[in-house]
Amino acid sequence: MRCLGRILVLGCTPALLGGCVQVSAPERPIEINLNINIRQEVVVSLREDVRELIQQNPGVF
Amino acid sequence: MSRRMKFMIAAGVAVAALAGGTAYAFVYQDAAAQLRASGAVGEQADGYLGLVGSASADVRAQMDSVNIQRRAAYTRLASQRGATIEEVAAATACTLLATRVGPGQYYRLTDGVWRRRNGSEPVPRPDHCG
Repeated sequence: MRCLGRILVLGCTPALLGGCVQVSAPERPIEINLNINIRQEVVVSLREDVRELIQQNPGVF
Repeated sequence: MSRRMKFMIAAGVAVAALAGGTAYAFVYQDAAAQLRASGAVGEQADGYLGLVGSASADVRAQMDSVNIQRRAAYTRLASQRGATIEEVAAATACTLLATRVGPGQYYRLTDGVWRRRNGSEPVPRPDHCG
């Protein structure tokens, strides 16, 4: 949230009238970062399942 | 027909069945490995095999078959663990890229570029692999 606030402030500082409303550009990288964090956690938690999946499906992996 | 002949025929049939079964199992079990070894197909960061260049219809059909089976396996595990199919597939890709891509074989990471594994150098680990 602190990060979000900082980016919103940065986004507003150089903006002219109405600049604060159009925040589509700063929003994007935040979303992507969040997704990568979630994925990393899931990937790590699935590590053992994945090992079994590969072993139990010879020829497919 | 003598008893001995019958026995020999039965033994012959048994050996042929056994050999055929073994050969079938070998081909079946190594479908993904053979495709990677052919150089026409490589391992991708999304957890599926992909075509490196142009390939015969036969190779494409084999690759599609493997990918369909992979998707089914990913789907089952995803529903068991409350994860998405893409997450399971990406997690599997981490292990496949690290363990299944042999020297000289092809892989494609998130940048979308096909690369060839150089000797015993490890395949770079995608960011999502943690």
